[in-house]
Amino acid sequence: MKRRRFLLPLALPVLAASFLVQCGPSSNGGGGKKPRVAYIGNAIAPFWTIAEKGARKAAAEYGVDVEVRMPQNGATDQKRMVEELLARGVDGIAFSPADPKNQLDLMKTMAQQTHLITQDSDAPDSPRLCFVGMDNYEAGRLCGKLVKEAMPDGGSVMFFVGRAGQLNAKERRQGCVDELLGRPEGERHDDPPDAELKGEKYTVLGTRTDEVDFAKAKSNVQESITRHPDIGCLVGLFSYNTPKIYEAVKEANLFGKVKIVGFDEEEDTLRGIQEGNIYATVVQNPHQYGHESVRILAALAKGDKSVVPASKFVEVPAKAVKKGDVDIFWTELKKQVE
Amino acid sequence: MKKNLGISLLLLLVCVVTALVNPNFLIPYNAENLVNWVSLYAIIGVAVTFVIITGGIDLSIGSVVGLVGTVLGWLLVEKGWPVPLALMATVALSASIGLVHGLLITKVKLQPFVVTLCGLLIYRGVARWLVHDGTLGFGTAYDGLRWFANGRIAIPFLGDYRFPAPLIILAVIAGLAAVFLNKTVWGRHLFALGRSEEAARYSGIRTDRLVILSYVLCSTVAGIGGILFALDVNTVQPASQGNFYELYAIAAAVLGGCSLRGGEGSVVGVLIGTALIRVLLNAINILGIATQLEFVVLGMVILMGAVADDYLRRNRSRRQLKRATPTG
Repeated sequence: MKRRRFLLPLALPVLAASFLVQCGPSSNGGGGKKPRVAYIGNAIAPFWTIAEKGARKAAAEYGVDVEVRMPQNGATDQKRMVEELLARGVDGIAFSPADPKNQLDLMKTMAQQTHLITQDSDAPDSPRLCFVGMDNYEAGRLCGKLVKEAMPDGGSVMFFVGRAGQLNAKERRQGCVDELLGRPEGERHDDPPDAELKGEKYTVLGTRTDEVDFAKAKSNVQESITRHPDIGCLVGLFSYNTPKIYEAVKEANLFGKVKIVGFDEEEDTLRGIQEGNIYATVVQNPHQYGHESVRILAALAKGDKSVVPASKFVEVPAKAVKKGDVDIFWTELKKQVE
Repeated sequence: MKKNLGISLLLLLVCVVTALVNPNFLIPYNAENLVNWVSLYAIIGVAVTFVIITGGIDLSIGSVVGLVGTVLGWLLVEKGWPVPLALMATVALSASIGLVHGLLITKVKLQPFVVTLCGLLIYRGVARWLVHDGTLGFGTAYDGLRWFANGRIAIPFLGDYRFPAPLIILAVIAGLAAVFLNKTVWGRHLFALGRSEEAARYSGIRTDRLVILSYVLCSTVAGIGGILFALDVNTVQPASQGNFYELYAIAAAVLGGCSLRGGEGSVVGVLIGTALIRVLLNAINILGIATQLEFVVLGMVILMGAVADDYLRRNRSRRQLKRATPTG
């Protein structure tokens, strides 16, 4: 009992101080206060570092404060981050759902309390105001075309990814599969990731997942080469997969024999393209994702709803980077990051 | 050796079955890769053996692997330190982590589980904070250094089969560990204190010092493993590098006959345990079994190993008992 009485006088000032700190900004805010928006990614990766630069650039341009959050553990961490942001109060959130189907409730809560837009990975069933990003399925189609270019006489293809269930991975893979099997544009199939699919010229052998463990990402490639010694092309669906494919193929002395096509713009991927050992990569424009998201949120926070298009889709298209254009692309990229 | 007979047979069985189903299992490329991975994981397995023998546990190994990899990348790539200095600094860092663990466990009397669980959280956080969650790549500038993690040495009489460089590092570490545990007084004392710390203390063993030593050895060896893992994958993502590796290490130790109650364990057992785990994972992939089933197979095998081990041990003690009590 005695100890508690000692604690009380100690605790009171602390409580009072924290109360004052909490109230401070809002009590003198109102008129001149900058709106505050949040930008939430779905993993920790260089991709999101570039997106963050774009978000911060737009924040400076459009006069808002931006809070950038990257989760370590996908959906679980995102929930905690969103709850914290909502508790503190934000005027808009640009969200990249790690698990769109099962985060609907979370997105409903967000939409009720603030302006919600999705970016990078969409959740069409959620009450989001719009989506900023590329169509991953179309990007997959583009990837499929690159595989065909790299391997014009046909052959077998294997996919490597961190989480096969994540929507963007699924769509990229499906787009690529549909393209390789010669299915007409607009016809969208839903093949299980592990199924072996035989087309006229191309065979899809399956998908190997690594749960974002880099060592496993590499050993998956090694083991696929062992299992299918005559494999033709390896496709990395997540940004880090392509460098790991590159590593394993290099150690196996199979450059030239095994083609590599990937997604995103990790340094090792771009270097591989420069050397000619990686055929091409499909790049998004994360800088633009960040920039566009914050531009839209800033306008919404100031009451301007005209920034949301009727289609609810703000497209930032994907493009292919091959040996011929890698130098220009890389220089541009470095400029954005600075 | 007798103790590891069951698991050795299991290892052999998995190898034979895999090789029969897919002969590519035995081609030099796969064999070299497999031995390379076994060597890397066995190093952290040997690390945790030191503390498991004392009846302790180290849950922070994965985070130490992550932190050491991150610090190494940071010192080399961002700070431009010379290689030997950066290597020494990271090994010293791992040793001091072990020292702190040991002191907290012996002097502050905290439980090893708690101390190393907090370590797991702290080192992961520090690694992420240090580089702001950025990915560090060694690029092509350190290919010479990377030889230690993925180099191959041609052997004249083995044809196409080459020796992975990490196997040599593992051989040195495992050899020293085996000599330390079996042939030195300290090693024997370590087993004694694992059996009963009180009894060991009353018979004049300075148990505190030994416990501290075991944690220092554990973290240091884990740190060396961390350096090699970082060099092998060539990029370090502080949030995921080494995640859950402590569980691979502990599983290998348990499969190899270490008792989590302390006082039992052998280096050879841990090597075979690690080999079994890696061969299983390799087999699942090259036999084309769904990757999602990996952990199911792994969990079942470890469970089977534990059950078989327990059965054999009880059988043995029953036989010993029978021999000791004269009948008729």
